[in-house]
Amino acid sequence: MILVVMDHDGNELRKGALEGVSRARKLAEALGGEVAGLVVGPGAEGVAEKAKDYVSKVYVVSGPDWEAYTAEKWAKAAHAAAEAAGARVVVAPASRTGRSWTARLAVKMDAALLEDTLDSWAEGDKVYATKYSFLNRVLEKQAGTLPAVISVKPNTTPLAEPAGAGAVEPLAVELGELEKKVEVLEKIAETGGKVALTEAEVVVTGGRGMGSAEAFQMIEQFADLLGGAVGATRAVIDAGWRPYAEQVGQTGKTVQPNVYFALAVSGAVQHQAGMNKSKVVVAVNKDPDAPIFKETDYGVVGDVHQVLPAMIEEVKKLKGA
Amino acid sequence: MKYVAIIRQVPDGESKIKVDGGRVNLEGATLILDQMDEYAVEQIIRLKEAHGGEAVVVAFGPERTEEAMRTALAMGADRGVLITAEGYVDPVTQAGALAKVLTEEAPDVVFTGGQQADWDSQALGAAVAEALGWPSVTWTTAFELEDGHAKATHDLDEGAEVVRVALPAIFTTQQGLNEPRYPTLPGIMKAKKKEIKKIDAAELGVSGSKVEILEQQIMELERKQKIIDGTKEPAAAAAEIIKLLHEEAKVL
Repeated sequence: MILVVMDHDGNELRKGALEGVSRARKLAEALGGEVAGLVVGPGAEGVAEKAKDYVSKVYVVSGPDWEAYTAEKWAKAAHAAAEAAGARVVVAPASRTGRSWTARLAVKMDAALLEDTLDSWAEGDKVYATKYSFLNRVLEKQAGTLPAVISVKPNTTPLAEPAGAGAVEPLAVELGELEKKVEVLEKIAETGGKVALTEAEVVVTGGRGMGSAEAFQMIEQFADLLGGAVGATRAVIDAGWRPYAEQVGQTGKTVQPNVYFALAVSGAVQHQAGMNKSKVVVAVNKDPDAPIFKETDYGVVGDVHQVLPAMIEEVKKLKGA
Repeated sequence: MKYVAIIRQVPDGESKIKVDGGRVNLEGATLILDQMDEYAVEQIIRLKEAHGGEAVVVAFGPERTEEAMRTALAMGADRGVLITAEGYVDPVTQAGALAKVLTEEAPDVVFTGGQQADWDSQALGAAVAEALGWPSVTWTTAFELEDGHAKATHDLDEGAEVVRVALPAIFTTQQGLNEPRYPTLPGIMKAKKKEIKKIDAAELGVSGSKVEILEQQIMELERKQKIIDGTKEPAAAAAEIIKLLHEEAKVL
Protein backbone atom coordinates (compact mmCIF):
# COMPACT_ATOMS: atom_id res chain seq x y z
CA MET A 1 0.00 0.00 0.00
CA ILE A 2 1.15 3.52 -0.83
CA LEU A 3 -0.09 6.51 1.17
CA VAL A 4 -0.33 9.92 -0.47
CA VAL A 5 -0.78 12.95 1.76
CA MET A 6 -3.00 15.36 -0.13
CA ASP A 7 -2.53 19.10 0.37
CA HIS A 8 -5.58 21.34 0.14
CA ASP A 9 -6.69 24.88 0.88
CA GLY A 10 -9.74 23.95 2.93
CA ASN A 11 -11.99 23.69 -0.13
CA GLU A 12 -10.03 22.23 -3.02
CA LEU A 13 -7.13 19.85 -3.45
CA ARG A 14 -3.94 21.60 -4.40
CA LYS A 15 -2.10 20.69 -7.58
CA GLY A 16 0.59 19.07 -5.45
CA ALA A 17 -1.95 16.53 -4.19
CA LEU A 18 -2.70 15.36 -7.72
CA GLU A 19 0.98 15.22 -8.63
CA GLY A 20 1.42 13.06 -5.53
CA VAL A 21 -1.39 10.71 -6.63
CA SER A 22 0.34 10.19 -10.00
CA ARG A 23 3.58 9.30 -8.26
CA ALA A 24 1.83 7.02 -5.77
CA ARG A 25 0.01 5.13 -8.56
CA LYS A 26 3.31 4.51 -10.35
CA LEU A 27 4.89 3.17 -7.16
CA ALA A 28 1.84 1.01 -6.41
CA GLU A 29 2.11 -0.61 -9.84
CA ALA A 30 5.68 -1.68 -9.11
CA LEU A 31 5.34 -2.55 -5.42
CA GLY A 32 1.77 -3.91 -5.47
CA GLY A 33 -1.20 -2.79 -3.42
CA GLU A 34 -3.44 0.22 -3.73
CA VAL A 35 -3.15 3.94 -3.11
CA ALA A 36 -4.68 5.43 0.02
CA GLY A 37 -4.92 9.16 0.68
CA LEU A 38 -4.83 11.38 3.74
CA VAL A 39 -6.35 14.82 4.18
CA VAL A 40 -5.62 16.77 7.37
CA GLY A 41 -6.81 20.04 8.86
CA PRO A 42 -9.63 22.56 8.51
CA GLY A 43 -12.08 21.64 5.76
CA ALA A 44 -10.69 18.10 5.48
CA GLU A 45 -14.13 16.42 5.54
CA GLY A 46 -15.32 18.41 2.56
CA VAL A 47 -12.07 17.95 0.66
CA ALA A 48 -12.18 14.19 1.34
CA GLU A 49 -15.32 13.98 -0.84
CA LYS A 50 -13.17 15.21 -3.73
CA ALA A 51 -10.04 13.28 -2.74
CA LYS A 52 -11.89 9.95 -2.74
CA ASP A 53 -12.21 10.08 -6.52
CA TYR A 54 -8.45 9.56 -6.79
CA VAL A 55 -7.65 6.86 -4.21
CA SER A 56 -9.08 3.57 -2.92
CA LYS A 57 -9.56 5.01 0.53
CA VAL A 58 -9.09 8.44 2.03
CA TYR A 59 -8.30 8.95 5.72
CA VAL A 60 -9.54 12.16 7.31
CA VAL A 61 -7.88 13.76 10.33
CA SER A 62 -9.72 16.87 11.52
CA GLY A 63 -11.28 18.57 14.53
CA PRO A 64 -10.36 21.33 16.98
CA ASP A 65 -6.80 20.00 17.49
CA TRP A 66 -6.11 20.19 13.77
CA GLU A 67 -6.98 23.81 13.00
CA ALA A 68 -3.40 25.10 12.85
CA TYR A 69 -0.55 23.40 11.02
CA THR A 70 2.56 22.31 12.87
CA ALA A 71 5.18 19.87 11.55
CA GLU A 72 4.84 17.78 14.71
CA LYS A 73 1.09 17.28 14.24
CA TRP A 74 1.17 16.64 10.50
CA ALA A 75 3.94 14.05 10.94
CA LYS A 76 1.88 12.36 13.63
CA ALA A 77 -1.24 12.25 11.44
CA ALA A 78 0.72 10.89 8.47
CA HIS A 79 2.33 8.24 10.66
CA ALA A 80 -1.05 7.16 12.01
CA ALA A 81 -2.49 6.93 8.49
CA ALA A 82 0.56 5.04 7.18
CA GLU A 83 0.13 2.49 9.96
CA ALA A 84 -3.63 2.22 9.39
CA ALA A 85 -3.02 1.67 5.68
CA GLY A 86 -0.01 -0.58 6.17
CA ALA A 87 1.87 1.71 3.81
CA ARG A 88 5.55 1.08 3.06
CA VAL A 89 5.88 4.29 1.07
CA VAL A 90 4.44 7.71 1.87
CA VAL A 91 4.28 10.36 -0.87
CA ALA A 92 3.86 14.05 0.01
CA PRO A 93 4.30 17.43 -1.64
CA ALA A 94 7.75 19.01 -1.31
CA SER A 95 6.31 22.32 -0.22
CA ARG A 96 8.17 24.09 2.54
CA THR A 97 5.84 22.71 5.17
CA GLY A 98 5.86 19.30 3.46
CA ARG A 99 9.62 19.07 3.59
CA SER A 100 9.55 19.91 7.28
CA TRP A 101 7.04 17.30 8.44
CA THR A 102 8.21 14.55 6.06
CA ALA A 103 11.64 14.73 7.75
CA ARG A 104 9.89 13.96 11.04
CA LEU A 105 7.79 11.22 9.47
CA ALA A 106 10.89 9.53 8.02
CA VAL A 107 12.41 9.37 11.51
CA LYS A 108 9.16 7.97 12.98
CA MET A 109 9.07 5.27 10.28
CA ASP A 110 12.87 4.78 10.31
CA ALA A 111 12.52 5.31 6.57
CA ALA A 112 14.68 6.44 3.67
CA LEU A 113 13.83 10.06 2.87
CA LEU A 114 13.89 11.01 -0.81
CA GLU A 115 13.46 14.75 -0.77
CA ASP A 116 12.16 17.17 -3.40
CA THR A 117 12.18 14.53 -6.13
CA LEU A 118 11.68 15.18 -9.84
CA ASP A 119 10.66 11.60 -10.53
CA SER A 120 10.45 8.40 -8.52
CA TRP A 121 9.97 4.71 -9.20
CA ALA A 122 10.41 1.32 -7.54
CA GLU A 123 12.27 -1.83 -8.53
CA GLY A 124 12.62 -4.90 -6.37
CA ASP A 125 12.85 -3.82 -2.75
CA LYS A 126 14.16 -0.34 -3.45
CA VAL A 127 12.78 3.03 -4.44
CA TYR A 128 14.63 5.33 -6.78
CA ALA A 129 14.39 9.04 -7.44
CA THR A 130 16.00 11.87 -9.29
CA LYS A 131 16.57 15.24 -7.69
CA TYR A 132 18.68 18.37 -7.97
CA SER A 133 21.56 19.07 -5.61
CA PHE A 134 24.44 21.52 -5.21
CA LEU A 135 22.16 24.57 -5.39
CA ASN A 136 20.16 23.12 -8.26
CA ARG A 137 23.23 22.68 -10.47
CA VAL A 138 23.56 18.89 -10.33
CA LEU A 139 21.03 16.23 -11.26
CA GLU A 140 21.41 13.09 -9.18
CA LYS A 141 19.88 9.66 -9.01
CA GLN A 142 19.28 8.17 -5.58
CA ALA A 143 18.24 4.76 -4.31
CA GLY A 144 16.47 4.28 -0.99
CA THR A 145 15.57 1.27 1.10
CA LEU A 146 12.00 0.50 2.20
CA PRO A 147 10.12 1.89 4.01
CA ALA A 148 10.48 5.23 2.26
CA VAL A 149 9.11 8.76 2.40
CA ILE A 150 9.16 10.62 -0.91
CA SER A 151 8.44 14.32 -1.35
CA VAL A 152 7.42 15.53 -4.80
CA LYS A 153 8.86 18.74 -6.20
CA PRO A 154 6.03 21.01 -7.43
CA ASN A 155 5.39 21.20 -11.18
CA THR A 156 7.30 18.00 -12.01
CA THR A 157 4.55 15.44 -12.44
CA PRO A 158 1.37 15.15 -14.53
CA LEU A 159 -1.79 15.69 -12.50
CA ALA A 160 -3.73 12.47 -11.79
CA GLU A 161 -7.15 11.90 -13.32
CA PRO A 162 -10.04 10.71 -11.12
CA ALA A 163 -10.35 6.90 -11.02
CA GLY A 164 -13.72 6.16 -9.39
CA ALA A 165 -14.98 6.65 -5.87
CA GLY A 166 -13.02 5.34 -2.89
CA ALA A 167 -14.10 5.11 0.72
CA VAL A 168 -13.82 7.92 3.28
CA GLU A 169 -12.58 6.93 6.73
CA PRO A 170 -12.21 9.33 9.66
CA LEU A 171 -9.06 8.61 11.64
CA ALA A 172 -8.87 9.61 15.30
CA VAL A 173 -5.36 10.80 16.16
CA GLU A 174 -4.65 12.02 19.68
CA LEU A 175 -2.05 14.67 20.28
CA GLY A 176 0.82 13.66 22.54
CA GLU A 177 3.17 15.80 24.64
CA LEU A 178 5.36 16.70 21.66
CA GLU A 179 2.48 17.97 19.53
CA LYS A 180 1.49 20.40 22.29
CA LYS A 181 4.88 22.09 22.46
CA VAL A 182 4.33 24.46 19.55
CA GLU A 183 1.56 27.02 19.83
CA VAL A 184 0.72 29.23 16.86
CA LEU A 185 0.20 32.78 18.17
CA GLU A 186 -0.32 34.78 15.02
CA LYS A 187 -0.58 34.38 11.25
CA ILE A 188 1.07 36.91 9.01
CA ALA A 189 -0.54 36.95 5.59
CA GLU A 190 1.60 37.11 2.50
CA THR A 191 1.31 40.35 0.62
CA GLY A 192 1.45 40.73 -3.13
CA GLY A 193 0.58 37.91 -5.53
CA LYS A 194 -2.53 35.81 -5.14
CA VAL A 195 -0.84 32.65 -6.39
CA ALA A 196 1.54 30.50 -4.30
CA LEU A 197 5.05 31.23 -5.48
CA THR A 198 6.28 27.65 -5.65
CA GLU A 199 3.19 26.43 -7.50
CA ALA A 200 2.87 29.33 -9.93
CA GLU A 201 3.24 28.70 -13.65
CA VAL A 202 4.33 32.29 -14.15
CA VAL A 203 6.70 34.07 -11.77
CA VAL A 204 7.53 37.76 -12.10
CA THR A 205 10.58 38.71 -10.06
CA GLY A 206 11.87 42.22 -9.52
CA GLY A 207 15.46 43.03 -8.57
CA ARG A 208 17.23 45.96 -7.01
CA GLY A 209 17.07 47.84 -10.33
CA MET A 210 13.33 48.34 -9.77
CA GLY A 211 14.53 51.21 -7.59
CA SER A 212 11.76 51.37 -4.97
CA ALA A 213 9.00 49.47 -3.18
CA GLU A 214 6.46 51.55 -5.17
CA ALA A 215 7.87 50.28 -8.46
CA PHE A 216 6.71 46.78 -7.47
CA GLN A 217 3.12 47.86 -8.12
CA MET A 218 4.04 47.42 -11.76
CA ILE A 219 5.41 43.93 -11.03
CA GLU A 220 2.20 43.05 -9.17
CA GLN A 221 0.07 44.33 -12.03
CA PHE A 222 2.04 42.29 -14.56
CA ALA A 223 1.90 39.16 -12.38
CA ASP A 224 -1.87 39.54 -11.84
CA LEU A 225 -2.42 39.99 -15.56
CA LEU A 226 -0.62 36.68 -16.24
CA GLY A 227 -2.13 34.84 -13.26
CA GLY A 228 1.36 34.60 -11.80
CA ALA A 229 3.16 35.15 -8.52
CA VAL A 230 5.50 37.94 -7.46
CA GLY A 231 9.11 37.13 -6.60
CA ALA A 232 11.98 39.24 -5.31
CA THR A 233 15.75 39.01 -5.01
CA ARG A 234 17.75 39.06 -1.82
CA ALA A 235 18.78 42.68 -2.43
CA VAL A 236 15.11 43.69 -2.62
CA ILE A 237 14.30 41.85 0.61
CA ASP A 238 17.31 43.43 2.33
CA ALA A 239 16.09 46.85 1.21
CA GLY A 240 12.76 46.07 2.90
CA TRP A 241 10.71 46.53 -0.27
CA ARG A 242 9.15 43.06 -0.20
CA PRO A 243 8.52 40.33 2.44
CA TYR A 244 10.91 37.38 2.90
CA ALA A 245 8.23 34.98 1.72
CA GLU A 246 8.71 36.26 -1.82
CA GLN A 247 12.44 35.69 -2.01
CA VAL A 248 13.65 33.48 -4.85
CA GLY A 249 17.13 32.02 -4.48
CA GLN A 250 19.46 29.98 -2.32
CA THR A 251 18.14 31.37 0.96
CA GLY A 252 14.62 31.78 -0.34
CA LYS A 253 12.33 29.66 -2.46
CA THR A 254 13.09 27.52 -5.46
CA VAL A 255 10.68 27.95 -8.34
CA GLN A 256 10.30 26.07 -11.59
CA PRO A 257 7.55 27.84 -13.52
CA ASN A 258 6.68 27.65 -17.21
CA VAL A 259 7.94 31.18 -17.62
CA TYR A 260 10.11 33.22 -15.27
CA PHE A 261 10.47 36.98 -15.66
CA ALA A 262 13.65 38.45 -14.15
CA LEU A 263 13.11 42.20 -14.24
CA ALA A 264 16.04 44.42 -13.27
CA VAL A 265 17.65 41.31 -11.73
CA SER A 266 21.43 41.06 -12.21
CA GLY A 267 21.43 37.26 -11.73
CA ALA A 268 23.89 36.31 -8.99
CA VAL A 269 24.59 32.58 -8.54
CA GLN A 270 22.55 32.61 -5.33
CA HIS A 271 19.56 33.91 -7.25
CA GLN A 272 20.02 31.46 -10.12
CA ALA A 273 19.90 28.56 -7.65
CA GLY A 274 16.25 29.43 -7.09
CA MET A 275 15.14 29.76 -10.70
CA ASN A 276 17.57 28.05 -13.08
CA LYS A 277 15.19 25.17 -13.79
CA SER A 278 12.42 27.43 -15.10
CA LYS A 279 11.22 26.32 -18.52
CA VAL A 280 11.51 29.72 -20.20
CA VAL A 281 13.45 32.63 -18.71
CA VAL A 282 12.76 36.22 -19.75
CA ALA A 283 14.98 39.07 -18.58
CA VAL A 284 14.90 42.84 -18.82
CA ASN A 285 18.02 44.65 -17.68
CA LYS A 286 19.72 47.85 -18.73
CA ASP A 287 23.17 46.25 -18.36
CA PRO A 288 23.89 44.09 -21.45
CA ASP A 289 26.62 42.28 -19.46
CA ALA A 290 24.35 41.30 -16.54
CA PRO A 291 24.93 37.59 -15.69
CA ILE A 292 21.18 36.95 -15.96
CA PHE A 293 21.36 37.20 -19.77
CA LYS A 294 23.43 33.98 -19.83
CA GLU A 295 20.46 32.26 -18.12
CA THR A 296 17.92 33.88 -20.45
CA ASP A 297 15.85 32.63 -23.37
CA TYR A 298 14.32 35.98 -24.31
CA GLY A 299 15.81 39.22 -23.10
CA VAL A 300 15.51 42.94 -23.56
CA VAL A 301 18.40 45.28 -22.88
CA GLY A 302 16.68 48.41 -21.67
CA ASP A 303 15.22 50.38 -18.80
CA VAL A 304 12.62 48.29 -16.98
CA HIS A 305 10.63 51.44 -16.17
CA GLN A 306 10.07 51.94 -19.89
CA VAL A 307 9.97 48.34 -21.10
CA LEU A 308 7.68 46.84 -18.44
CA PRO A 309 4.77 49.30 -18.89
CA ALA A 310 4.94 48.59 -22.63
CA MET A 311 4.97 44.82 -21.96
CA ILE A 312 1.89 45.25 -19.75
CA GLU A 313 0.09 47.05 -22.59
CA GLU A 314 1.09 44.32 -25.07
CA VAL A 315 -0.23 41.56 -22.79
CA LYS A 316 -3.50 43.47 -22.33
CA LYS A 317 -3.85 43.65 -26.11
CA LEU A 318 -3.12 39.93 -26.37
CA LYS A 319 -5.67 39.04 -23.68
CA GLY A 320 -8.25 41.32 -25.28
CA ALA A 321 -7.81 39.65 -28.66
CA MET B 1 21.79 28.05 29.23
CA LYS B 2 23.49 26.11 26.49
CA TYR B 3 23.11 26.76 22.76
CA VAL B 4 24.14 24.51 19.89
CA ALA B 5 24.57 25.21 16.17
CA ILE B 6 24.63 22.18 13.87
CA ILE B 7 26.87 23.11 10.95
CA ARG B 8 28.21 21.68 7.68
CA GLN B 9 31.01 22.36 5.26
CA VAL B 10 29.88 22.83 1.64
CA PRO B 11 31.29 24.12 -1.65
CA ASP B 12 30.95 27.87 -2.14
CA GLY B 13 28.03 28.59 -4.47
CA GLU B 14 30.31 30.80 -6.55
CA SER B 15 32.83 28.05 -7.25
CA LYS B 16 32.53 25.77 -10.29
CA ILE B 17 31.69 22.17 -9.59
CA LYS B 18 32.80 19.30 -11.77
CA VAL B 19 31.69 15.72 -12.21
CA ASP B 20 34.10 12.83 -12.77
CA GLY B 21 32.83 9.33 -13.49
CA GLY B 22 29.26 10.19 -12.51
CA ARG B 23 30.27 11.73 -9.19
CA VAL B 24 30.70 15.34 -8.08
CA ASN B 25 34.39 15.97 -7.51
CA LEU B 26 35.03 18.74 -4.98
CA GLU B 27 38.77 18.82 -5.64
CA GLY B 28 39.75 22.44 -6.23
CA ALA B 29 36.39 23.79 -5.05
CA THR B 30 36.40 26.38 -2.26
CA LEU B 31 34.82 24.79 0.78
CA ILE B 32 33.09 27.02 3.30
CA LEU B 33 30.85 27.03 6.35
CA ASP B 34 27.37 26.70 4.78
CA GLN B 35 25.93 30.22 4.54
CA MET B 36 22.64 29.06 6.02
CA ASP B 37 24.59 27.63 8.99
CA GLU B 38 26.37 30.98 9.45
CA TYR B 39 23.06 32.39 10.63
CA ALA B 40 22.86 29.52 13.13
CA VAL B 41 26.35 30.18 14.50
CA GLU B 42 25.66 33.92 14.72
CA GLN B 43 22.41 33.26 16.57
CA ILE B 44 23.93 31.05 19.27
CA ILE B 45 26.77 33.54 19.82
CA ARG B 46 24.21 36.34 20.22
CA LEU B 47 22.21 34.22 22.67
CA LYS B 48 25.34 33.60 24.72
CA GLU B 49 26.22 37.31 24.65
CA ALA B 50 22.72 38.29 25.76
CA HIS B 51 21.95 35.59 28.32
CA GLY B 52 25.30 33.96 29.21
CA GLY B 53 26.01 30.26 28.98
CA GLU B 54 27.86 28.23 26.38
CA ALA B 55 27.78 28.20 22.55
CA VAL B 56 28.75 24.84 21.06
CA VAL B 57 29.02 23.82 17.39
CA VAL B 58 28.20 20.25 16.40
CA ALA B 59 28.65 18.66 12.99
CA PHE B 60 28.26 15.34 11.20
CA GLY B 61 30.59 15.06 8.22
CA PRO B 62 33.98 14.17 6.82
CA GLU B 63 37.23 15.07 8.65
CA ARG B 64 37.60 18.22 6.54
CA THR B 65 34.49 19.64 8.28
CA GLU B 66 36.94 20.72 10.99
CA GLU B 67 37.87 23.74 8.79
CA ALA B 68 34.28 25.01 8.79
CA MET B 69 34.08 24.31 12.50
CA ARG B 70 37.19 26.47 13.08
CA THR B 71 35.41 29.30 11.22
CA ALA B 72 32.47 28.97 13.63
CA LEU B 73 34.86 28.95 16.59
CA ALA B 74 36.61 32.05 15.15
CA MET B 75 33.22 33.81 15.00
CA GLY B 76 32.95 33.19 18.74
CA ALA B 77 31.58 29.73 19.49
CA ASP B 78 33.24 28.07 22.50
CA ARG B 79 34.00 24.52 21.35
CA GLY B 80 33.04 21.88 18.83
CA VAL B 81 31.96 18.26 18.56
CA LEU B 82 32.52 16.61 15.17
CA ILE B 83 31.00 13.25 14.30
CA THR B 84 33.19 11.96 11.50
CA ALA B 85 31.95 9.91 8.55
CA GLU B 86 33.25 9.97 4.97
CA GLY B 87 30.80 9.81 2.06
CA TYR B 88 27.08 10.45 1.90
CA VAL B 89 24.93 9.57 4.89
CA ASP B 90 21.19 10.37 4.74
CA PRO B 91 19.66 12.89 7.18
CA VAL B 92 17.57 10.29 9.04
CA THR B 93 20.67 8.24 9.85
CA GLN B 94 22.62 11.40 10.71
CA ALA B 95 19.79 12.50 12.99
CA GLY B 96 20.18 9.35 15.09
CA ALA B 97 23.87 10.06 15.73
CA LEU B 98 23.37 13.80 16.28
CA ALA B 99 20.55 13.07 18.73
CA LYS B 100 22.94 11.00 20.85
CA VAL B 101 25.46 13.85 21.01
CA LEU B 102 22.72 16.40 21.78
CA THR B 103 21.28 14.20 24.51
CA GLU B 104 24.68 14.30 26.18
CA GLU B 105 25.17 18.04 25.57
CA ALA B 106 21.62 18.84 26.73
CA PRO B 107 21.30 22.28 25.10
CA ASP B 108 18.25 24.53 25.55
CA VAL B 109 18.25 25.91 22.01
CA VAL B 110 19.61 24.44 18.76
CA PHE B 111 19.94 26.24 15.44
CA THR B 112 20.87 24.82 12.04
CA GLY B 113 20.71 25.93 8.39
CA GLY B 114 17.37 25.97 6.58
CA GLN B 115 18.77 24.29 3.48
CA GLN B 116 22.11 22.62 2.73
CA ALA B 117 24.09 24.03 -0.18
CA ASP B 118 25.39 20.60 -1.25
CA TRP B 119 22.55 18.07 -0.87
CA ASP B 120 19.88 20.81 -1.16
CA SER B 121 18.26 19.09 1.82
CA GLN B 122 15.97 20.85 4.30
CA ALA B 123 15.46 17.81 6.52
CA LEU B 124 18.23 17.75 9.11
CA GLY B 125 16.84 20.16 11.73
CA ALA B 126 13.38 18.59 11.85
CA ALA B 127 14.82 15.05 11.71
CA VAL B 128 17.15 15.62 14.67
CA ALA B 129 14.29 17.21 16.62
CA GLU B 130 12.06 14.20 15.92
CA ALA B 131 14.82 11.80 17.01
CA LEU B 132 14.98 13.70 20.32
CA GLY B 133 11.22 14.14 20.73
CA TRP B 134 11.72 17.91 20.60
CA PRO B 135 9.69 20.49 18.68
CA SER B 136 11.19 22.25 15.66
CA VAL B 137 10.56 25.43 13.74
CA THR B 138 11.80 25.83 10.18
CA TRP B 139 12.77 29.01 8.25
CA THR B 140 13.09 31.21 11.34
CA THR B 141 13.38 34.95 10.69
CA ALA B 142 13.04 36.28 14.26
CA PHE B 143 13.78 34.70 17.63
CA GLU B 144 13.61 35.66 21.28
CA LEU B 145 13.76 33.83 24.59
CA GLU B 146 10.78 34.27 26.88
CA ASP B 147 10.47 32.57 30.32
CA GLY B 148 11.62 29.09 29.38
CA HIS B 149 10.02 29.32 25.95
CA ALA B 150 11.05 30.76 22.63
CA LYS B 151 8.97 33.08 20.52
CA ALA B 152 9.84 32.76 16.86
CA THR B 153 8.61 34.10 13.54
CA HIS B 154 9.01 31.72 10.64
CA ASP B 155 8.08 31.43 6.99
CA LEU B 156 5.44 29.01 5.71
CA ASP B 157 4.63 28.20 2.09
CA GLU B 158 2.53 31.34 1.98
CA GLY B 159 3.10 34.05 4.52
CA ALA B 160 4.59 33.62 7.95
CA GLU B 161 3.50 32.95 11.52
CA VAL B 162 4.57 33.61 15.08
CA VAL B 163 4.90 30.57 17.33
CA ARG B 164 5.61 29.98 21.01
CA VAL B 165 7.74 26.89 21.52
CA ALA B 166 8.60 24.91 24.64
CA LEU B 167 12.36 24.33 25.05
CA PRO B 168 14.54 22.47 24.26
CA ALA B 169 13.78 22.95 20.59
CA ILE B 170 15.48 23.11 17.19
CA PHE B 171 15.18 26.07 14.83
CA THR B 172 16.30 26.23 11.21
CA THR B 173 17.50 29.48 9.76
CA GLN B 174 16.30 31.81 7.07
CA GLN B 175 17.89 34.93 5.71
CA GLY B 176 16.82 37.90 7.82
CA LEU B 177 17.32 36.12 11.14
CA ASN B 178 20.53 38.07 11.74
CA GLU B 179 23.60 39.43 9.96
CA PRO B 180 26.48 37.01 10.60
CA ARG B 181 29.72 38.60 11.80
CA TYR B 182 33.07 38.03 10.12
CA PRO B 183 35.74 36.26 12.19
CA THR B 184 38.31 38.74 13.50
CA LEU B 185 42.04 38.03 13.49
CA PRO B 186 42.17 37.59 17.30
CA GLY B 187 39.10 35.36 16.92
CA ILE B 188 40.91 33.22 14.35
CA MET B 189 43.97 32.93 16.61
CA LYS B 190 41.84 31.93 19.61
CA ALA B 191 39.88 29.42 17.53
CA LYS B 192 43.05 27.42 16.87
CA LYS B 193 43.25 26.54 20.57
CA LYS B 194 39.57 25.81 21.10
CA GLU B 195 38.56 22.21 21.69
CA ILE B 196 37.12 20.08 18.90
CA LYS B 197 36.09 16.64 20.10
CA LYS B 198 35.93 14.04 17.33
CA ILE B 199 33.74 10.97 17.49
CA ASP B 200 33.70 8.27 14.83
CA ALA B 201 30.12 7.92 13.53
CA ALA B 202 30.42 4.13 13.87
CA GLU B 203 30.78 4.56 17.64
CA LEU B 204 27.33 6.20 17.61
CA GLY B 205 25.79 3.27 15.76
CA VAL B 206 26.02 4.59 12.19
CA SER B 207 26.57 1.80 9.67
CA GLY B 208 25.82 2.87 6.12
CA SER B 209 23.02 5.03 4.77
CA LYS B 210 19.36 4.45 3.96
CA VAL B 211 19.81 6.49 0.81
CA GLU B 212 22.58 5.96 -1.69
CA ILE B 213 23.63 8.39 -4.42
CA LEU B 214 23.99 6.40 -7.63
CA GLU B 215 24.93 8.97 -10.20
CA GLN B 216 25.43 12.72 -10.54
CA GLN B 217 25.66 14.94 -13.58
CA ILE B 218 25.98 18.67 -14.16
CA MET B 219 22.55 19.92 -15.08
CA GLU B 220 22.51 23.24 -16.80
CA LEU B 221 19.75 24.04 -19.24
CA GLU B 222 20.62 25.43 -22.64
CA ARG B 223 19.15 28.90 -22.99
CA LYS B 224 18.19 30.50 -26.30
CA GLN B 225 19.73 33.87 -25.40
CA LYS B 226 17.66 35.86 -27.89
CA ILE B 227 18.45 39.36 -26.66
CA ILE B 228 16.70 42.40 -28.11
CA ASP B 229 18.10 45.91 -27.82
CA GLY B 230 15.42 48.03 -26.22
CA THR B 231 17.55 51.00 -25.25
CA LYS B 232 16.28 53.21 -28.10
CA GLU B 233 12.78 51.93 -28.70
CA PRO B 234 11.54 50.24 -25.52
CA ALA B 235 7.93 49.94 -26.72
CA ALA B 236 8.97 48.12 -29.90
CA ALA B 237 11.24 45.78 -27.94
CA ALA B 238 8.38 45.06 -25.50
CA ALA B 239 6.04 44.27 -28.40
CA GLU B 240 8.62 41.96 -29.95
CA ILE B 241 9.33 40.03 -26.77
CA ILE B 242 5.66 39.50 -25.96
CA LYS B 243 5.16 38.30 -29.55
CA LEU B 244 8.05 35.84 -29.18
CA LEU B 245 6.64 34.55 -25.90
CA HIS B 246 3.22 34.13 -27.46
CA GLU B 247 4.11 32.72 -30.88
CA GLU B 248 7.50 31.04 -30.50
CA ALA B 249 7.78 29.98 -26.85
CA LYS B 250 3.95 29.64 -26.57
CA VAL B 251 4.01 30.44 -22.86
CA LEU B 252 1.64 33.43 -22.97
